[in-house]
Amino acid sequence: MKKSFLQGLITILLFFATWYALTQINWMNIFKVQQVTDKTEQKLGELFWEVFKNSEKEIKNTHVVNSVDCVVTHICKSNKIDRSKLKIHVLDKGDINAFALPNGHLIIFSGLILNSDNQEELAGVICHEIAHIELNHVMKKLVKEIGLSVLISMTTGSSGAEVIKETAKMLSSSAFDRSLEKEADIKAVDYLVNANLNPEPFADFLYKLSETEHEVAKYLTWISTHPDSKERAEYIIEYGKGKKTQYKPVLSIDTWDKLKTTLKY
Amino acid sequence: MIHIKQFSYKPGEHEAETASSSYLMSLIAIIVGMPLPIVNLIATLIFYLGNRKSTYFVRWHCTQALLSQLSMLLINSFGFWWTISIIFTDETITSKYIAYIIAALIFNLTEFIATIYTTIQVRKGIHIEWWFYGSLTNLICKTNS
Repeated sequence: MKKSFLQGLITILLFFATWYALTQINWMNIFKVQQVTDKTEQKLGELFWEVFKNSEKEIKNTHVVNSVDCVVTHICKSNKIDRSKLKIHVLDKGDINAFALPNGHLIIFSGLILNSDNQEELAGVICHEIAHIELNHVMKKLVKEIGLSVLISMTTGSSGAEVIKETAKMLSSSAFDRSLEKEADIKAVDYLVNANLNPEPFADFLYKLSETEHEVAKYLTWISTHPDSKERAEYIIEYGKGKKTQYKPVLSIDTWDKLKTTLKY
Repeated sequence: MIHIKQFSYKPGEHEAETASSSYLMSLIAIIVGMPLPIVNLIATLIFYLGNRKSTYFVRWHCTQALLSQLSMLLINSFGFWWTISIIFTDETITSKYIAYIIAALIFNLTEFIATIYTTIQVRKGIHIEWWFYGSLTNLICKTNS
């Protein structure tokens, strides 16, 4: 009995030792498996951001930049997210939209801020996009929809400018898989609660926009690309229920109002 | 890894043939059910069940063949589902995965060669006990007397 047990144990150990020894070899290089490296992501981030930078106007107003930065930094700090990884850009565009690009670029359209009734709504959308970044959804989506070879060819310059432009547009105007969206929503609620921000307005925001969808449909990029807003609002409320009762806004009411006024004119 | 041992009695011609077939069974099933790790186990299990009431020599070798397939099932199933998850989910190929597949291949190949060798030897009536599986079979498989 003891002998069999010992021999069995040695066999199992032998298997794991073989596996461990083999993992020491870089098989990805040997088999030339294409993979997304940090460098690929960094380059893609720059390329896509260039597209938006050239086509839209970036808002550089100190008050706007500082206010948004204040919200983002607070969320990052409360959730132990490396703030330096995120690059926030506010663009002067009426569409209600926010989206993430590779390498931590987060783009917010002024239309989103203007159409948020309170800062918690904006924080909810920001948290949702940060969740996409943190969960590596952006690169997953790109690999799935564009393919690794095309992505790598973009970074080496062998792909046309039109392809880069189209891909950047795709990132700004289409949602992720249903499961990835839900994962980001749930993570966003966690981020909000950790940051002492009420997640309910985030759900209200989804409700509100899904109701008015038909009237201002052309401006509602964020909501029209994120299907089943009502269902999402429901599980956000359900998930956020009973988490916390004491919430505290990041920006003062004056700062929030000033932010909206600045963007309006 | 493989020991030639004296069996408690000299097996007859027919016994040696049936016992050898139990290993042969797993070899054929490996070829047939290559992508699915379960097929060779099912084949040896059916053969084992069919020979439960057979002589001690036949039963002993059927048990050893079955046990060896069981552990291979664990290794191969893990590799199989890992591969499936890479194809159908967000999982990507990593060095760790390739290393696992190579390790699994080494173990499968070793087992394959050992099985061929054992099939031939057992057919000649020579009793072969494998490392670990042999002693485990000795614990499970008892003589009728």
